[in-house]
Amino acid sequence: MTQQQAQNHVAAEGDREIVTERVFDAPRELVFRAFVDPELIPQWWGRRADTTTVDKMDVRVGGDWRFVTEGPDGTHAFRGTYRAVDPPERLEQTFEWEGMPGHVVVETATFEDLGGRTKVTTRSLFHTTEERDGMLSSGMEIGLAESYEKLDELLAGGSED
Amino acid sequence: MVQYQEQLDQAFAALADPTRRGILERLGRGRATISELAEPFGISLTGLKKHVQVLEDADLVRTEKVGRTRWCSLGPQDLGEVQRWIVGYRLMLDERLDRLGELLERTEGENA
Repeated sequence: MTQQQAQNHVAAEGDREIVTERVFDAPRELVFRAFVDPELIPQWWGRRADTTTVDKMDVRVGGDWRFVTEGPDGTHAFRGTYRAVDPPERLEQTFEWEGMPGHVVVETATFEDLGGRTKVTTRSLFHTTEERDGMLSSGMEIGLAESYEKLDELLAGGSED
Repeated sequence: MVQYQEQLDQAFAALADPTRRGILERLGRGRATISELAEPFGISLTGLKKHVQVLEDADLVRTEKVGRTRWCSLGPQDLGEVQRWIVGYRLMLDERLDRLGELLERTEGENA
C-alpha cells in the first residue's frame, strides 16, 4: 500500500554514527515543517503503536523539546535540545530517552531539494563508541538488509535512481 | 559465527514488536506468569503465548511449568540494556520515517 517514493539506506560513518537516507515525494519546505511543527509531530513521531504527545517544543538553538509516547509497552518520555535550526535545510538536536539517562544521541537531519521531492539524511551520533558498536553487533546489519528489501519493494514500480 | 548471526537475526526479529519489547522490559524486573504478562497489554492469553514463543525461540525468554502455571523469565540470550536500547532506537527511527512518508503522502493528497 505504501506508495512513498523512499530510498533508505544505512551506513556506519565515522566512528560512532548511523546514517539513513530517504527520498520523500514532497517539497522540502513541507518535509522540514513536519520536523518543527508541534501539530504535525504527533502524526508521525514515534512507533506505529504509540500515541505521541508534545510536552515541550521550543524550536530554536538552545531550546528544549520533550515528547511523551504511550504504547503497548508503557509510557516513555524523550527529550533533548535543538542545536541547529536552519530551515529548510538542516536541523540538529540531541535525543535522550528518560528511561536511560546519560546515553545521548546527536541527531542531524539535512533536507535536500530534488525538485519537488526531498532527500532527508539523518545522522545519529552516539555518545560512546561502545553504544554504537552494540548496535552494529545486535541487528544493525540485519536491519540494513531489511531496509534494502523494503527499498526494493518500494522501488519495484518506480524509477528511483 | 554463523550460529551467532542466526541468534542475532532471531533476536532482532523478536524485538521488532512493541509487545515483545514490553514483555522483555517487564521480565527485566523479575519473572512473571503468562496471565501476569498478558494483563497490561490487553491481549488474549493465546496471543501472548505466541509472542512468548517467538521470544523463547530466540533464547530471549525461558519458560518453566510449575504445576498448572507457566513462569517466564529472561533467557540466556541477554542482549544487555544498552544494546536493547540501541535496537529500540533503530526501530523507532525507521518507524518514524515510515510514518513521516505516509503523513506527507496524505498531506500532498489534500493539496492536490
